[in-house]
Amino acid sequence: MKIPLSWLQDIVTLPDDARTFSHKATDAGIKVEGIATSGGEITRVVIGQIVSLTRHPDADKLWVTQADVGTEVLQIVTGADNLKVGDYIPVALHGATLANGLKIKKSKMRGQESNGMLCSIGELGCTTEDFPHATDAGILVLTRPHPLGADAKPLLGLTEDVLDFEILSNRPDTNAVMGIAREAAAVYQIPFSLPEITVQEKAAGQASALVSVDIKDPARCPRYIARVVRDVKIAPSPRWMQKRLEAAGLRPVNNIVDITNYVMLEYGQPLHAFDIGAVAEQNGKHGIVVRTAASGEKITTLDGVERVLSDTALLIADGEKPLAIAGVMGGEATKVHDATTTILFESANFNPACIRLTAKKLGMRTDASARYEKGIDPNQALTSVNRAMELVERFECGQVVPGWVDNYPAPRQPRAVAFSTEGINARLGTALPAGEIRAYLQRVGIETREKDTAYEAIVPTFRWDIGEEVDLAEEVARFYGYNRLLSRHSQHIPAHLPFQPGMSPRRRREIALRQAVAGLGYCEALTYPFESPKIADKLLLPQDDFQREPLTLKNPLGEDFSVMRRRTLGGLLTGLGVNFVKRNETARLFEMAWVYESLTREAPRLTLAAYGPGVDYLSMKGDVEDLLSAFVGGKLVFAPLQLPYMHPGRTAGVAVRPHPKRDPAPLGELGELHPQVAAHFGIEARVYVAVLDLDAIHALGVNKKASFTPPPKFPALVRDLAFTVPGDVTAAQCEAAIREKGGQWLSEVTLFDVYQGKQIEAGHKSMAYTLRFSAPDRTLTDDAARKQMTAICNHLSEKLGGLVR
Amino acid sequence: MLEKLTQLRHHIEQSLRDATPEAIEAVRVGMLGKKGEITAVLKGLGQLEPQARKIAGQAANELRDWAQSQIDQAKAGAGAAKQAQALTEESIDITLPGRRRGMGRLHPITQVYGKLEELFLSLGFDIVEGPHIETVYHNFDALNTPESHPSRDESDTFYFDENYLLRCHTSPMQVRVIEKQKPPIRVVVPGKVFRRDEVDATHTPVFHQLEGLVIDKGVHMGDLRGIMELIAGHIFGPGAKIRLRPSFFPFTEPSAEVDITCYVCDGKASRPGSEANDPCRVCKDSGWVELWGCGMVHPQVLRTSGIDPGEYSGYAFGLGVDRITSALYGITDPRLYFENDVQFLRQF
Repeated sequence: MKIPLSWLQDIVTLPDDARTFSHKATDAGIKVEGIATSGGEITRVVIGQIVSLTRHPDADKLWVTQADVGTEVLQIVTGADNLKVGDYIPVALHGATLANGLKIKKSKMRGQESNGMLCSIGELGCTTEDFPHATDAGILVLTRPHPLGADAKPLLGLTEDVLDFEILSNRPDTNAVMGIAREAAAVYQIPFSLPEITVQEKAAGQASALVSVDIKDPARCPRYIARVVRDVKIAPSPRWMQKRLEAAGLRPVNNIVDITNYVMLEYGQPLHAFDIGAVAEQNGKHGIVVRTAASGEKITTLDGVERVLSDTALLIADGEKPLAIAGVMGGEATKVHDATTTILFESANFNPACIRLTAKKLGMRTDASARYEKGIDPNQALTSVNRAMELVERFECGQVVPGWVDNYPAPRQPRAVAFSTEGINARLGTALPAGEIRAYLQRVGIETREKDTAYEAIVPTFRWDIGEEVDLAEEVARFYGYNRLLSRHSQHIPAHLPFQPGMSPRRRREIALRQAVAGLGYCEALTYPFESPKIADKLLLPQDDFQREPLTLKNPLGEDFSVMRRRTLGGLLTGLGVNFVKRNETARLFEMAWVYESLTREAPRLTLAAYGPGVDYLSMKGDVEDLLSAFVGGKLVFAPLQLPYMHPGRTAGVAVRPHPKRDPAPLGELGELHPQVAAHFGIEARVYVAVLDLDAIHALGVNKKASFTPPPKFPALVRDLAFTVPGDVTAAQCEAAIREKGGQWLSEVTLFDVYQGKQIEAGHKSMAYTLRFSAPDRTLTDDAARKQMTAICNHLSEKLGGLVR
Repeated sequence: MLEKLTQLRHHIEQSLRDATPEAIEAVRVGMLGKKGEITAVLKGLGQLEPQARKIAGQAANELRDWAQSQIDQAKAGAGAAKQAQALTEESIDITLPGRRRGMGRLHPITQVYGKLEELFLSLGFDIVEGPHIETVYHNFDALNTPESHPSRDESDTFYFDENYLLRCHTSPMQVRVIEKQKPPIRVVVPGKVFRRDEVDATHTPVFHQLEGLVIDKGVHMGDLRGIMELIAGHIFGPGAKIRLRPSFFPFTEPSAEVDITCYVCDGKASRPGSEANDPCRVCKDSGWVELWGCGMVHPQVLRTSGIDPGEYSGYAFGLGVDRITSALYGITDPRLYFENDVQFLRQF
């Protein structure tokens, strides 16, 4: 909420400037989010004095003046006729900006230098209401001397500090000038009371003879007050009020509307003005009925829109028709217009939940509804409407009819909250005596009294937020000072921790996995878990793919963030696209992210994606092998896989066979992205990805036994073997064949070359392997190896058509 | 005879000086080989008088041993010189760039999480995680959130339906922990949270929190303040200055925001290097930056989960990890965290 400092100063005298006050208020929980300066657009306007004044030699209507601005005397040409030597005037210097945005520069006028401009009230954003002695046509001549060259803005009252307060949702009472003033008084320990209000009530008659109020639903409308003003004269409100409304962010309309808004800002109480002529009479009185709307009932609101209501809305009506949607917006029929002569002012209290529901259903949140939703003290309704009457009389925009109609069947009473000094001290870690605690509470208007062996706080009705002892503890802490509280370090952290794991094996493994992937050269990415449904199109997914049926947010930030991802690729590929656009030659990214299968099932995935020199199918596969071999026991199995978004010939499913006799457990997929998909993400390079199911890795990690095989003590025998096979024989088949006849001492089979071309029969390829033989108990002889090599060669030839080279 | 030996000794000395390995070998063959001169002397000893033989034999043998050791030394020296020569010829430009694959990096947010978790593990906290998709009950109702609280609005929180939403804080895990575990409780909860903020220079709809919850006998606000100082000191160094500021959260009472001295203007509230006193944009002219919220667990939250607030009390906090990371590195635009440009990520 934005409040000009002067408005607060009207109510409570603050001993500090805006900045110091804002720090103190913030420390007490009334946070000032910023201090703006109204009139801040005006720059480089200083106080000057006319030293000489002569007619322009070449222009009858211009004057050439010499103006002393303290540091120098400037020649300035002006057209105004109201100046004399010795006058103090505002001078816009070279480079100045005026209220209308005009920039002032040195120039020549009819051959005479003019080094600035003398300002009129209009150019300073003012009217004759700000300076009654001034004229709109001439230069603003100041009524008393000021230091020459001083900044004119503060001296002329052109600027004012406007404080922007953050309103906590449990403190609607502070969403008003009076509420902030009450807190400010508490900060400075100044006694606070609401200003006296005086209403003359000069009109004839009695309000109760003109108006009746019938509340059909007191649960939803605890209080309704009506006051009447006759002989209304609609006109603009005074400039000072307009300025305050503007500073607070409201647009001035006319005196009546501005008064209702002004009082709303001041007391937090929304008021509504009805043209009483449009309120139907009943038994000789204008009869206000507060009732529930009928389902489907219609009303055209102030903004000219016809609204259809449900039976949860509360209506202000007369005997015949709805007049207003209670607490939300008035109706067009009773709108105050230029010809209105008599006005009914409503100051009412409505149930917050009811207003919230109605405003939500209608999709119209107004200044009034926003305040009713938070809850307003019904005990301020009369003060507020009387303040409006006082202003009506002060502005002479109408005659207030004596008396009012107040329908308030169950007045709200202050709440008693029990507390003890021990309870408050135990919460805060303090040892405050009772007297000090009671004094802090007194500051915010909470009286206390002894009751039994402890105390009772009488909480005023504007403090809905205080319900039990801990709430009082916070009030005490606010004014004692949060930062004066004891700081204790060890009490609840045992010196000797009982054994506890601290974090789960899953989390430990995920941290280790992250570090391992980073070690492989991948940077960790973070993406949004929601994405566009169009990602499914970009991934070339068929219509029946499960990703086409994701969880959908009811209220997303636009379509791009509307569905919960079923696959992680979209986010990471978008990230790669950013890197490609920025011309990063190589990018390797990974993310540990969740996919959302249902409202109660989220599953983690480890996703890798990369492009650039040195990145290919084998590098990606190698990274996955390195990673999995460190975290999963058993043998990895790769099998060709077809996926819509992947290269049909360069994609593998990866699984692990934890034990030779067990079925392989699937772990994920890897390979080259379909080039069309890469293009959809703006990447004109071959992209390689791997998506691993973390739950599967966790499951295998749990079963991984802590064990080891001693490294061989004796040197190994190493033999190379090269042979040709038909082109369609896979590396996996070759290795399997070698192992089948490798014997018990064959420990490693490593492919080091694949060759097709010269000297190799067409349609064939040459495969070259290094074989390692080792025995645990002796150094193997050449003979033993030779025997095994022969067996392998024969087997390759028989099984795969291999020809040893 | 002895004269002859002296000549040979002299000859060997001269021949071996600065000799190449080939010349050294020639000296060896010429002196100690089968037909070498020293060998010849030794062979000729038999023809001498016994008395002379004894003297000459001793001298000849001495010469032979000496020659052998001289030749060995010369060979070793010549080899080292040759190798040194060869090594010199192999010099390369050692300023050529290394052949790198490049280490990857953990995301700065992950690194800050790691640093925080390290602290809490050492203090005996458990680390637990919770679902992103939460029930309205756990996210709001059980946390004492009034129906009118703005965070419940569809303009603030993402909903799936009337029962499920994307959690807007990690606090629902407070409830899930209390439902399962009896006090004393010490847990932290890392994780993503979601708020319906449009992406701009200060907001992302997804960010990261670390929730903390301690429930025990006799916990008071001094403990809360103490741990807040520990956290700030652990992350920002022992000199870090924080303040607690009264605030409101439905599930804590009293509640506080924790602010740290602005990391851009160092608490001066004006933009560094600006000529006029332009306000600092990061701290909005206040000198302080809001980091996270905390407070004493509201008795109603304990009652809801069947813990007697008369017996137990506790504190809770929700650290904004993105904000902490920004404050630590001086990052002013949180969108960088989700852009995933490796030129950004590789710096951490």
